[in-house]
Amino acid sequence: MSSLLRRIFAVTASTLVVSAVSAQAEPLRVPVLVPITGFLSLEGTSQKNGAELALVGSDVAFSVADTATSPEIAINAFERAVDAAGVVAVVAPMLGTQMLALLPVANEFGIPLITVSGTAKITELGSANVYRFFPGDAVVKSAQARYAVEERGAKRPAIISQTTAYGQSGRAELERNLITIGAPPVFQEALDISVKDMLPVLLKVQSSGADALLLHLHSGSTALIIRHARALGLDIPIIAGSAMHQPETAALLEPAELNGVCAESGSSPVSEDSEEIRDFVDAYRRSFDREPDAFALGQYDGAKMILAAVAAGAQTPDGIRTHLQTASHKGLAMNYKSDGKGNMAHSAVIICYGTEDRVPQIVKRYENLTGTL
Amino acid sequence: MLAVQLLLNALSLGAAYALVALGFVLVLNATTAVNFAHGESVVAGGFAAVLLATLLPTDIGIPGLILLPGILVITAALGLGIGALAYLPIRNRPPVSVFVTTIAVGMIVANGLNATFGAAPRTAPPLIGVGTIDMIGVSISRQSIAIIVTACVLIGGLAIVLQRTQLGRQFRACAQDPEMARAVGIRLTRITLLSFALGTAFAGAAGLLLAHQFFISPADGAPLILKAYIAVVIGGWGSLRGAAIGAFLIAAFEVGVAAISSQPLAEGLLYGIVLLVLFVRPQGLFGEPQQVRA
Repeated sequence: MSSLLRRIFAVTASTLVVSAVSAQAEPLRVPVLVPITGFLSLEGTSQKNGAELALVGSDVAFSVADTATSPEIAINAFERAVDAAGVVAVVAPMLGTQMLALLPVANEFGIPLITVSGTAKITELGSANVYRFFPGDAVVKSAQARYAVEERGAKRPAIISQTTAYGQSGRAELERNLITIGAPPVFQEALDISVKDMLPVLLKVQSSGADALLLHLHSGSTALIIRHARALGLDIPIIAGSAMHQPETAALLEPAELNGVCAESGSSPVSEDSEEIRDFVDAYRRSFDREPDAFALGQYDGAKMILAAVAAGAQTPDGIRTHLQTASHKGLAMNYKSDGKGNMAHSAVIICYGTEDRVPQIVKRYENLTGTL
Repeated sequence: MLAVQLLLNALSLGAAYALVALGFVLVLNATTAVNFAHGESVVAGGFAAVLLATLLPTDIGIPGLILLPGILVITAALGLGIGALAYLPIRNRPPVSVFVTTIAVGMIVANGLNATFGAAPRTAPPLIGVGTIDMIGVSISRQSIAIIVTACVLIGGLAIVLQRTQLGRQFRACAQDPEMARAVGIRLTRITLLSFALGTAFAGAAGLLLAHQFFISPADGAPLILKAYIAVVIGGWGSLRGAAIGAFLIAAFEVGVAAISSQPLAEGLLYGIVLLVLFVRPQGLFGEPQQVRA
């Protein structure tokens, strides 16, 4: 009997050892699928860098794939990525149209997506597999509208947005917030990403009698509007969208053009004084030879929360999902907690540029705007 | 006053688009196939300006216009490469093969620029300085004037080459009847490669002109090739004059019509005109009816 027990024990033990070795050979994986080429490549590269900085050196393996700008490419990249063993979550593209296309596929595979996409709709479709680590339009547009009206005294704001899904999602939230706080926009127009000359739309802003200009545009269009507004002598406060906080956007403009321009953002790593964020900024500069932005920091925090989930024992997509749904995470940019729909970020900042250089100052913080924390 | 300012903006944008469209037609006439890498050639010119500008001493205010010869040389070399790699080896195959090879080259250029310079938009130095000058009571951007003058000089130079030189006659002969041109001793391959070089150099010049006032990023090629294509469709397939007029029409819609309506409406109206031209005058405003539309 004792001999039989010893044999059973030996077989069981060897099986466990083999399993452990197999588990070591097949690490947990978090593929990084982001738009590195195309019109969102600037923001997508930040997203990639943030995820990479968090995951490098961890026990979680990752690989990077470019989703460019079409939903089809994103879906193909996702299906290829989850074909590998051990995938527990995916860093998903920040492009709203790609996220909307990916959600049904992620639901089918049961893989949680972590992203910094601002498009409001991605967390309004009832999916348990989307987790957004950048404040959505409902948060940042609330901050942008409140700052314009409450701090800058705007009563007749104008909105210029992009015709993309990103642009229209933000425009709708901005308009809703402005109406709610009693300053409905007097002028609105959406611009295609390829529009070069901003004089026509700026002349219409001028003739509308607007007393503040609120932007929700991609990086290049934001810089173009500001340059052309300065050349036109449009003397009203400009409060831009998140694209303005990116160091690459500010680099396109002269300090004199930037002077007085403000913008909403989830965070502004280069403006922060805390030691932890300074360490992040230094590491980012060393790794990528560029300045970090809020997208990079948001995705860094998101990837770190995945690592925290793994450290807490989550070894499967279900485990990661449960952690994301229930746990709080103290990130560098802010504290994160799901509102039940996958919106993890609930705070925003307003930054403004001065005449000295292209490093903005944080002039206003809007904490926990959704009341989730 | 605002009308003058709008007109000037439309003219400067149209002048840069005209350079793009003319380069596009030069290659089209030499090959009867569309060079879909042309938009990326504009982008390459813009990034060449950004790169060469780093070699300029910034403290003594040397104007960006001084970069133009270097950019023409660099992008002409790029054009030779595109012609040699993406056209000559498959010139006897159906035009769709050239579409695909030039699309591939365009993507290689765009992604190469992305990998080298990063995805962010960049700005090149102004052609003759920033700011405005007061003229007839209107503040006029120095850059806009510089764009218009530079484009006029380049277009005028091209017209002289095509109309007054033996090389220009060879270009025109090859465009009108390649077989007859070959029969009378014109070296068709040489003229084809020169067309790629000249057309791409024009695209590169447009890149310099656009890159300060409107920035340049690796992803800008697709909208630019679309504009060139539309300009050629409106102006006439293969017509240099038509391409230039088509380019100015696009700029007029982007600036003038957008100012009195909205940008999406202006774009819709522009494409409405494209459809109208295709229905009423398929060969375009200045095209010849027998041309085959690719």
